[in-house]
Amino acid sequence: MNKIKRYGRLYRVLVSQFLKTILQSKVDFFIGLIGFFFTQIMGIAFLYLVFEQIPDLQGWTLDQLIFIYGFAQIPRGIDHLFTDNIWMVSWWMVIDGDFDRYMLRPMNVFFQVICEKLQPDALGELLVGFALLILSISKGVVAFHAADVLLFLVSMIAGAVIYTSVKLFFASIAFWVKQSGPFLQVAYDMANFAKYPTEIYSRAVRFLITWVIPFAFVAYLPAGYFLGQRSAFATIGAECVIAVVFWIIAYSFFQYGTRKYESAGN
Amino acid sequence: MIQVEHISKEFVSPKKYPGLKGAIKGLFSNEKVRKTAVDDISFHISEGEIVGYIGSNGAGKSTTIKMMTGILTPTSGQCLINGIDPSKNRMENAQNIGVVFGQRTQLWWDLPLSESFTILKEIYNVSDEDYKDRMDFLNEVLDLPEFFDRPVRTLSLGQRMRADLGAALIHNPKVLYLDEPTIGLDIVVKDKIRDAIRQINEQYRTTVILTTHDIGDIEELCSRIIIIDEGKKIYDGGLAELKDTYGTSRRVTMEVRQPELFRKIDWEEKLHADESSIETELDDEKNLFSVSFDKNRIQVSDIISSVMQISDVRDIQIQETELSEIVKAIYRHALKGR
Amino acid sequence: MKKFLRTYLPFASNELKRNMAYKGAFYLFTLCSLFGSFIQYYLWMAIYGSAQGAKLGSLTREEMVVYVFMSYVTSSLTMISVSRELGRDVVKGSVAMNLIKPIDYRLSLIAKGMGTVVYHFLIPGIFVWIGLELYKVFILHLPAVSAGNILWYLISVFFSFLIYVLFDFCFGMIAFFTTYIFGMQMAKDALLSFLTGQLIPLSFFPGIIQRLFDFLPFSSMVYTPVMIYLGRYRPSELCFVLGRQLVWVVLLYLLGSLLWKQVTKRLVVLGG
Repeated sequence: MNKIKRYGRLYRVLVSQFLKTILQSKVDFFIGLIGFFFTQIMGIAFLYLVFEQIPDLQGWTLDQLIFIYGFAQIPRGIDHLFTDNIWMVSWWMVIDGDFDRYMLRPMNVFFQVICEKLQPDALGELLVGFALLILSISKGVVAFHAADVLLFLVSMIAGAVIYTSVKLFFASIAFWVKQSGPFLQVAYDMANFAKYPTEIYSRAVRFLITWVIPFAFVAYLPAGYFLGQRSAFATIGAECVIAVVFWIIAYSFFQYGTRKYESAGN
Repeated sequence: MIQVEHISKEFVSPKKYPGLKGAIKGLFSNEKVRKTAVDDISFHISEGEIVGYIGSNGAGKSTTIKMMTGILTPTSGQCLINGIDPSKNRMENAQNIGVVFGQRTQLWWDLPLSESFTILKEIYNVSDEDYKDRMDFLNEVLDLPEFFDRPVRTLSLGQRMRADLGAALIHNPKVLYLDEPTIGLDIVVKDKIRDAIRQINEQYRTTVILTTHDIGDIEELCSRIIIIDEGKKIYDGGLAELKDTYGTSRRVTMEVRQPELFRKIDWEEKLHADESSIETELDDEKNLFSVSFDKNRIQVSDIISSVMQISDVRDIQIQETELSEIVKAIYRHALKGR
Repeated sequence: MKKFLRTYLPFASNELKRNMAYKGAFYLFTLCSLFGSFIQYYLWMAIYGSAQGAKLGSLTREEMVVYVFMSYVTSSLTMISVSRELGRDVVKGSVAMNLIKPIDYRLSLIAKGMGTVVYHFLIPGIFVWIGLELYKVFILHLPAVSAGNILWYLISVFFSFLIYVLFDFCFGMIAFFTTYIFGMQMAKDALLSFLTGQLIPLSFFPGIIQRLFDFLPFSSMVYTPVMIYLGRYRPSELCFVLGRQLVWVVLLYLLGSLLWKQVTKRLVVLGG
């Protein structure tokens, strides 16, 4: 308990220092936000154009697809906001030896990695996500009951953990190959598959995004619960199990990787 | 305080092939290149010692330090720092040590120095009273107040080095590792840093291990040095003994009245010396005659008396080998097998 | 001309070599951009499966398969960013250095871009292209693309490349005004994927917006060459769209020169 309190305090101290430096450039903040906002909103424009031509997509209505799309943005945004520094580990920190400093301080290494940076660009994704969500609720596509709010929060957190686990796992490859950015990029881009119902893909792709890089559990499956198609247990329950399992795998791999870390200069 | 037992570190990297074809080949081949950076090194260091850890570039100095600090995990062997194995209890060990890498700062680049210290106080869980005591001491020996409110990126190299040294000491570590702490600094700043290190060592009995290429650092700070070469320890002992063991060559230079008389003399025969154990040199213009020799084989008095039999001597000068010459010889692997 | 080539060819070949020197993992990186195309492919197949008519946005299902993968190949050959490097040079302050050298900075960037085009043509462009044609002939049982279409396609792709780099050069000058170019790039890439027809054929847009696109350079970047490849233009139309591309090359070239002159004048005055 004491330990949690200490880490909470440390997080506040470290992040507030970082915020001071980024708040100095409000323009950059705004530009980044716009950049990610546009990237995500284009997918919605695409859906609108397509639905001019067809009544439904394999039984899914436009409103339902928009809900899934928006739902997918929020865990992505949460993970992007808090753990963006993992990208730096995979691209530069291991190969440059900057990872040394994490190893020298009496704090958990993963904790140090994530509290070195907050990525405000993520607000662009969160904005799209919440806007679409509110739109969906106001249109009555999904009906939220009181208990659902809690389930929704759980699902968002579990989804973010899945994102973080995938990133951490592929970034950890850098401890062996020095630079794992390309691997991480490929894995991360798999998440784009999960913005649409997975039934449209071939069986191999479906297997890949469900069981290997489990992005299907981030959005499509739990969204099924809120659309009233499946039970909470089969969707959000499964999502939590997957999140825990993949987190344990990724974190153990990362821990093992830090023991293989070779620093720079050899 | 520090026990290093038979540690080795091996780096394994995939074999690389040149060109595009090579890149494709590299994707499928599984060949590995092994390199032993540290090879079975052991030593013990007691509390309060200042030890110089030296060797040429790539000899394995940094690798050893990185294993002792917990950055790298040894391939075999173990080290105990104050009873803790850094590769097993990294965090506990981190609380006990301070580290300064001369080439790389550990401070927050964009923040004022004062903020870095505030963060470090939190990270190392230093109480308010301890923090105040430490800062008073550090401000005094390192003159931190002159740039305490400036962002780290605006500091000069000398200021940054002082700041880094201060930052490494904020939690009163038992062991301080310094990796080339005076690299690139001017003489005045070097002196300042060395003074600070000495004072810290005296006041808090902090054990200090430093790697350096600067002979001045060693001569002024270290009572003991450990030399490694190609990953192996080749010397461990006092500075005086090092000079005794390796620095046995002397050079005596005499100003003589009649240098022309020295031309055709076989000195090896005259001094009963082995072949090539002495070297002579004659400078006609300045009337200087000099002999380099090994003091364990030939007495300097023999040389001087032989010379005086030939000519009057106006002045005599005897030089020891400088430490830098010894170190240079070690770096050139010239002392192997001795 | 010979001197011109001697001056700028090394930029292209060095860039090609630099790309080639990347290790295996980086090929993966290039290939992962193909993911987007596969997502598109599956989406479109589902969309056509749900459609009542055989054609959507004037394209048949088979034509859409070609469209999806050829728009990938086309954009990998034409959308080569020079603004990234321009931005880097501005931030590092090395633009001023480039003004000293006896070369045209913009041409050197374009030459480098050409190097990347050759690289993208090899990895993975040509493989995707051949794969697509094989799929067309053996699975979809359609005739292979005609040599004439390939020729016109390649000419159009060359114009598209010039339009894109000249446009991107103008865009890159934003770097003189903000330091966070990454965010601007994201926004630009997102908008262009839409306006060029990379994400969805422009024929899906309402008529009035399509009319508007006729007056913008973006449709010439991806949509035009892919439609040429599909053989959707009659000879007279073909001349028109190629001519329109050429006009954009000239206009953007002039715009770039004008902006560059203004910006570097400021650079000289302010120093930097």
